[in-house]
Amino acid sequence: MSEDKEKIISEAVEKALQGDMDTINNIEDRVTRSKAKAALVKAKRAKVVSDEDSTKEDNASESKVEEKINFNQTLCKKISEKFSDSIDGDQNNDWIQLKPENWLKIAKWLKSDEELFFDSLQCNTGMDLGEGVLESRYNLHSMKHLHKVEIRIKVSAEKPDIPSVEQVWRVADWFERETYDMFGINFIGHRDLRRILLPDDWEGWPLRKDYEEQETYHGIIVPKVKEGWE
Amino acid sequence: MGLLENKFTDNIIVEKLDKLLSWSRSTSPWFFQFGTACCAIEMMAAAASRHDLMRIGIIPRSSPRQADVMIVAGTVTMKMALRVKKLYEQMADPKYVVAMGSCATSGGPYWQHGYHVLKGVDIVIPVDVYVPGCPPRPEALIEGLLKLQEQILEERPLTRKTG
Repeated sequence: MSEDKEKIISEAVEKALQGDMDTINNIEDRVTRSKAKAALVKAKRAKVVSDEDSTKEDNASESKVEEKINFNQTLCKKISEKFSDSIDGDQNNDWIQLKPENWLKIAKWLKSDEELFFDSLQCNTGMDLGEGVLESRYNLHSMKHLHKVEIRIKVSAEKPDIPSVEQVWRVADWFERETYDMFGINFIGHRDLRRILLPDDWEGWPLRKDYEEQETYHGIIVPKVKEGWE
Repeated sequence: MGLLENKFTDNIIVEKLDKLLSWSRSTSPWFFQFGTACCAIEMMAAAASRHDLMRIGIIPRSSPRQADVMIVAGTVTMKMALRVKKLYEQMADPKYVVAMGSCATSGGPYWQHGYHVLKGVDIVIPVDVYVPGCPPRPEALIEGLLKLQEQILEERPLTRKTG
């Protein structure tokens, strides 16, 4: 590229950055014009990056964390006002710990309320906290407001009953079946609560800490390795 | 030779029926087209144009009734073990099994802590050839199948075994 053309391009880009696109559009040579436009895009991008100072970015992430904490606290408050005695234990900034009793009502409200509108259940998973305590965790997200929250519900392993939200979020159907399959949490009101991965006649709940695999399954040895191994 | 003497023109080969049967079986061991895990990808690669199993007479069949060889390609879970057994029982004799990959031969990475995995498919069905690897390359599977062909060629389906 000759120096003349470079000069033309740099001038045109400068003018375009000030808001005058005509200079670029009036370049006659097609190749030069497209090169100038590419240079303009590059210059604009560089400008955006230089505007976003690194300190500003830190501030932004900090304010985001604060926003999330505030959101969680206000949501927690709202729930305890609307549904008395449903918050379980101390409040936490990262998630909301609920009691199982009112969960279905709360779930319906979380989904239908205009301000919250959690229309998407992203994940439901189980957890064995040890000492006979199981937990079911729900990650909710609102496609409309783009906010999210984590709900955790503790139950005892002797009576692991949690109301099913399968009819609130349809995706919970298979999520709850998987949690049931692995942890044996009973989702009361689920219309088709069967095992999803393991065979129907499997014994025990494999992801519980006290799980011991069965000796045989339909006459096939389950746990032992072959003779002469190890 | 009695009845058959001088009855044939010279492009006829005279051979034992026994050998003919095992030869024809060994050159067309059609395998049952199913895969249980990632080894199936290598099995597909072996059957596809680059490695081309068809040049040694091996083609996939979609029904157990039409298949001679079952290639157990991949992890067999307890849930699947019953089905694999059922499929094996549905195959018509003569039938052979190739255990492909470390999961099918021994349980592979699940052999100690995988409560849901069958520790080798030979627990439920008899296996003729084991192909090690995780997963084995198509060449390894082809070698296994060539070994199987050798094995079939040595069989004498009509002669009674003595001793």
